[in-house]
Amino acid sequence: MAELLLSDGERCKNFFLYDGSRVRGEGDLTREGICYFYPEQTPLDKQELLCGQLAGVGRCISEISLSPVRTLQLRNSKFAIRMSEDFLWALGCSMEVPTVSVCDLLDELISLFCFYNGPVRRIYQLNNRELLAARWAQYLSHLLSGSSKFNHTFSRLKTIDPTNVDPLLLLKAALILQACQRCPLVLTGCILFRGRVVSTQMSPELTMKVMVHESETYSEIQRKIGPSTFSSSGGAVSSTKVFLTSSELHYLQSSPVNKDFSHLTSHKDAPKKKTQLSRTLSDTPSTNSDLTNQCSSLLPQKVSLNLDWSESEHSMFSSALGTSNPLDRSPQSHKASHTNRKPSGEEQLKELEQDIWLRDSEQSIRDSHHPTNKDTSFERVFDTRGCRNVESQDDETAVGDRGGSCGSAPPFSGAFDSLEDDSLIPMMLYMHRVKELVLALLVEPRFLSDTASMEEVYHSSLASLNGLEAHLRAICPGAPVAPELYIFAHFDLIQHTLTSNLSGRPGRTPEHSFVRATSLLHSHFCNTETLQEAIIRSAGTAVYGTRSVAQETFYQQLGPSLRNSGIPNHQDSAFSLPSKARHRLLKHGVNLL
Amino acid sequence: MKFFLIASESAEVLFYWTDTEFQLNVREHYGASQEEGHGLPAFEDSISTLFAPIIISCSTMADRESECYTSFTTENNHIYVLHRFDECLYIAVNGDGEEKEDDLRRKIYVMKKMIEVLFGMVTLSGNLLKKELRPQDTEHRARLWKHLQGLLETYSNLRENDQSFLVEAVERLIHPTLCEQCIEFLERPLVQQINSSVERAGEEVLHAFILVQTKLLAFYSSRNASTLSTSDLLVLIIMSQNMYPSVDMDDHAAEDVESTSGSGRESFYTPEPSSSEGDSISSENFLRVNLPVFEFVDPDVQMAEDSLHTLDDKPPDPSTPLRVFLEVSQKDRLCPMMPHSMYCLPLWPGITLVLLTKIPNSAVAISVYTFLEAFANLEKRLNENKGISTMHDVHNKLDKFIKALGRSEIQSVQLQNAWTDFKNKAFARGGTGFTKELIPCCVNMKTQLCGIYRQCFLTLSRPSAMSRRLSPGLQERAQVMLREKLVDWKDFLLVKSKRNITMVSYLEDYPGLVHFICVDRSTGRMIAPSFSISEQTTTELGQGPVAHYIKSKVWSLVRTTRSYLQKGYSTVTLRDGDFYFCYFLWFENEMGYKLEAGDIPVQPDESPPIGVLARDYYRNLLRYYSKNLKGEAVKCYELLTVHLGVIPSEIILQHCRQLASKLWEPSLNPLL
Repeated sequence: MAELLLSDGERCKNFFLYDGSRVRGEGDLTREGICYFYPEQTPLDKQELLCGQLAGVGRCISEISLSPVRTLQLRNSKFAIRMSEDFLWALGCSMEVPTVSVCDLLDELISLFCFYNGPVRRIYQLNNRELLAARWAQYLSHLLSGSSKFNHTFSRLKTIDPTNVDPLLLLKAALILQACQRCPLVLTGCILFRGRVVSTQMSPELTMKVMVHESETYSEIQRKIGPSTFSSSGGAVSSTKVFLTSSELHYLQSSPVNKDFSHLTSHKDAPKKKTQLSRTLSDTPSTNSDLTNQCSSLLPQKVSLNLDWSESEHSMFSSALGTSNPLDRSPQSHKASHTNRKPSGEEQLKELEQDIWLRDSEQSIRDSHHPTNKDTSFERVFDTRGCRNVESQDDETAVGDRGGSCGSAPPFSGAFDSLEDDSLIPMMLYMHRVKELVLALLVEPRFLSDTASMEEVYHSSLASLNGLEAHLRAICPGAPVAPELYIFAHFDLIQHTLTSNLSGRPGRTPEHSFVRATSLLHSHFCNTETLQEAIIRSAGTAVYGTRSVAQETFYQQLGPSLRNSGIPNHQDSAFSLPSKARHRLLKHGVNLL
Repeated sequence: MKFFLIASESAEVLFYWTDTEFQLNVREHYGASQEEGHGLPAFEDSISTLFAPIIISCSTMADRESECYTSFTTENNHIYVLHRFDECLYIAVNGDGEEKEDDLRRKIYVMKKMIEVLFGMVTLSGNLLKKELRPQDTEHRARLWKHLQGLLETYSNLRENDQSFLVEAVERLIHPTLCEQCIEFLERPLVQQINSSVERAGEEVLHAFILVQTKLLAFYSSRNASTLSTSDLLVLIIMSQNMYPSVDMDDHAAEDVESTSGSGRESFYTPEPSSSEGDSISSENFLRVNLPVFEFVDPDVQMAEDSLHTLDDKPPDPSTPLRVFLEVSQKDRLCPMMPHSMYCLPLWPGITLVLLTKIPNSAVAISVYTFLEAFANLEKRLNENKGISTMHDVHNKLDKFIKALGRSEIQSVQLQNAWTDFKNKAFARGGTGFTKELIPCCVNMKTQLCGIYRQCFLTLSRPSAMSRRLSPGLQERAQVMLREKLVDWKDFLLVKSKRNITMVSYLEDYPGLVHFICVDRSTGRMIAPSFSISEQTTTELGQGPVAHYIKSKVWSLVRTTRSYLQKGYSTVTLRDGDFYFCYFLWFENEMGYKLEAGDIPVQPDESPPIGVLARDYYRNLLRYYSKNLKGEAVKCYELLTVHLGVIPSEIILQHCRQLASKLWEPSLNPLL
């Protein structure tokens, strides 16, 4: 998955936060209202012009339409706008970025700011602008950095390359997170390695937010102590205050095992049709759907490798069980308590073995019914662990719902919430760093004063984190892939991950046209819910795009340009793209069947 | 909720159109803020106040950043589209989701086109156009705006309901023998008789065509006429529809007896029961049609206001033509906005004969256009500091032109003064010569030339202009002749116009095909199965939701494929819900040989919408494509199909191919 470094300035042109409440009177200067303006070196009068005009026009339109302005286009750039109280945020991008993506990006940026700083009005009362400007700059650069050509079309989560990693390591990471969760004060967590996700229990949006702090502390530590040496313990644990929206919190507090639909429907920001969230966010410790396929293909005997699980982990699991009471963990759970019970470490491993065996046998049965639905089985593994009694109904509803719903991608929830001050609830982000590996946990504020719990979590995970880090570090990057005769991009709408074989060479025409076609098709998919597939063809290139509730995939065949007259012709190679994509992409773990 | 506004830079309302919902919205806005007992401000003023901040901000952005707002959306999905043409800002608003951004942009461009057809080269001078669009006399203003509002409504209606206005191509009635007979009839007795009559008062019929509702039955152009461009023809159809709206099939029978006897235009007016705008608009329409009748009673009033009056101020006499400004190709060059007279002669409700005539003094327009072009070029070159042509050829011609004007009744003193001033600055010893300081003189010259043009062609009520037209008797004779010719066909034609070709005839050969549209872009003609989804008549698509759903899908398909075409994609296939949509654009030469697909230029987002009415995209495309083909004539076709999604795609593509080759077979395609 090569990445292209593209100068961000080209695509993101402006960003500003303007506080209209400071510019009320006749004599008030527009500059008083400008809280932050990017690029910072913009001459002040230009900043004033843009802020003043956009804010004025925005207010005027809002008055006529009785609704805040959402987007604003100029001849050469487009702006996503958010208006709340007297604040106005505007993010300007160049015209080729799809409008939906600009809006998503702005929402993400605002919710990121609110995640670390809390309500905007309050933080601006408490702190000076320079400090906060630095934070905006930091978040902005984080969101825009590491851009692949698709970065502006899809907001994506960076994960470790799952094709390169032993699935057992991912499983191990997931188990570490589960172990930590046994402490009642821990809400959820994720494990990151070199700025990429190894395993997460959080929604992609939340994971993305957590990663900002991780990358910041990482670079800070690197600056202080040098890249190779990390202090062994004390400095490795850090924490910072964060703010969750009430919907995010509600979601986390409900039992991670049984996030069934009754929870989701009460979830403020997730309308019913977006129930597909339940599948992945339920308890899935993996980060990538490709991985799920790999996991499910594990043979039963391979599970014996689990015996490598060290003694210390066993003790970790049992001690964890000793101090925490899993029964009163989730007060809002509507399920009977036994479904919330977390098995002990030994049980867990045993059950895992059983599950994999069970799953394999069931898989064969299921395959006869749903031959193509591989990841269903995966969900089953983790569902069954927690609540074997209700599994079958749950599973069926899940499958049924998935088949029936045809929603768009889940939006970045929370951005809206975070604009309302009262809905932000302070929490803590706890981070435990082992060299380049980070365990990040969202914890109740009490956690940090509760020394016993903290030590518990620290010690129970330390050994496994060390082990995991050593393994991950040992992984060498995969051998470079021979250039292929096609380009593709596969975006997982649920996990926000992107798989693509786009080469790093910049400026190649087929790739440029592919990226352009992708962004056109993506906006079309976003705007037309019923659209499933599209082939678009210009004189030289043909691009195929397909979309389901879970994914968007784009495919283009390279090679000699297609000679054609443009008249309908069934022998035209453009129309064989769907079948080619189906076959070729299987080896990348993309299943379009 | 819909709204349309043309405003000057200083937020003066030059024209507006609004639906009731928006009107209420604005009233409420002001009702709330207004003190008790103060009465609401005039609606026009409310709009001006409401939109002033936007308009002024637009000017600020243009001045300081040379940027312009092009669109806004709000969280409740209101869309605002803005476009500036010189000094006029056009704003189109939609708040009910019925129109997308592209539709609003198109509406703006179409409105501009209609204003050009109505005002000709006066539109080239911002100042004059402002005066023309906003006459001082409030009554006159109200009448003009009502006319423009009617045109805008008619256009919006047609775009929403008529496939030919969806794809912006003219649909012909498919009946080869009758078409041919009619063309011959138009040529031999009709146009010939008119053009050889003494009652034509110097006018000469160039084009004659018969419209059945919006469809073309026959089109005849006289030998010395240049071709009528598709975009002009479409605007003329909108105008005739505005005068004589389409009648519903069920109503026309009742009207029949009455209408054949009388020739008053109001007797043809039938408010459409299915009209989507509701009653208020129908009654407005009715007023518009009727109002001038009372004015005409007192001819003195007409004379007194004479100089103020422009085209809309036409006397109600139905025999008075509409002045329209159309594109003409003269000696290998295109002259836009040449004056013509348009006579709309109703034969029966729904069937209209349209005559386009060349007016006697139209040569003046060509001269004015030549001078305008020369001064515009000069201005541009002065601005860019490029080498200056000395304007000597223009010098002599303009001298002669002004001398000739002096002998006519046209007031040319101001032009003369401006020209003297220009000459003093440019050519005399003490003058500035050809430097940037000459630019104000250029601008002044252009304004004066536009003023002359306005005097010549836009003041129709001048007594001398009144006499210069086909005499009412002549018009009536034409009407009678054609009525006699078509009387037996009348009912057939009206039915045919609703079901020109039907999907039924295709079902056997193309199982699974739901709908298609095929367009020949080189001639601007289209073929599509009829798509009437009115409540009374059942079509092949059935009634109610399914038909409406398919219609909305076809409409959105056209929008989608245009957006891909804009980015250079000439083939699009989409699997959407239970349907499979295809779009193809291809080129052929005269012999029907398929030419290789060339690169289609990628248009920037803010370019005019793809289509014909607003700006003929396809003509430019053809010009671009045939650049490398050494003068070979190139034809351009488009095909859109809707299939059921269960049909395998190979079969769908075969269908498309067969349709593409069969549809334009000569048997179906009567010669024009």
